[in-house]
Amino acid sequence: MKRIISAKNAPAAAGPYSHAVEAGGILFVSGQVALDPATGKLINGGIREQTEQVLRNIGAILEAAGYSYGDVVKSTVLLSDIEDFKTMNEIYSKFFPTEQPARVAYAVKDLPLGALIEIEVIAVKSK
Amino acid sequence: MSKLFVLLIVSVMFFWSCNTGSEKQKVTESRVITFENTPASRPYSPAVEAGNMLFVSGQIALDLSTGKLIEGGFEEQARQTLSNLKTVIEKAGYKLEDVVRCTVLLTDINNYATMNRIYMEFFPSDPPARMAFAVRDLPMGALIEIDAIAVKK
Repeated sequence: MKRIISAKNAPAAAGPYSHAVEAGGILFVSGQVALDPATGKLINGGIREQTEQVLRNIGAILEAAGYSYGDVVKSTVLLSDIEDFKTMNEIYSKFFPTEQPARVAYAVKDLPLGALIEIEVIAVKSK
Repeated sequence: MSKLFVLLIVSVMFFWSCNTGSEKQKVTESRVITFENTPASRPYSPAVEAGNMLFVSGQIALDLSTGKLIEGGFEEQARQTLSNLKTVIEKAGYKLEDVVRCTVLLTDINNYATMNRIYMEFFPSDPPARMAFAVRDLPMGALIEIDAIAVKK
């Protein structure tokens, strides 16, 4: 019933969590920060670069699970600074150009590893 | 002509109501999980089950017998919070192994490593998908809050 997803092309988890868990036809992808899959460290760069890296990491996990960006139905976007909202949207739209997922976005006090952005997604395979 | 039009409208409405009727039958049954001592002042259920999926409300380190935050620092609160999560999940007839996703809210991101260590005591293998971050404040001055989604085997 519960399938644990481990993606080769995504950075190793920074804590005791799986890349993603699939159950009941729903894929729950863990919150991703802008870790470089090669080094496991936060990439250099600002919100633009971090958003891109986070969404690429999510893409690698979706792919490993047999899903794609188009299957994402809901996302949560956490920012460490709400001023990054506009830039995040700009990058985000490139990955989700049409039929965009439902979303909640807000600024938090701090993210793990000093990240500027964390995104988690829930996906359901489209028929 | 107008009679024909009325007939058309009526039949469209009839089929529409049939459709919504059958859709309603398809809606998954939901079940609210409650405790005898759940304070009425809290406008949420400890957990709600829909189909074979359980949505567990954010838990903080309350002493379930007194309804007050336990004494102690972060480690004690983390353990109590996870223990409360387990209690609610088991009360609903699920197990911790059924948890597929958690959200961990901290008031201080410097507690991230300690939280991970205690979290592993409760989820030693095949851990759920997770999102963790620090917020400004948690209810009742708690240091940690965790919510979960579980899917029954």
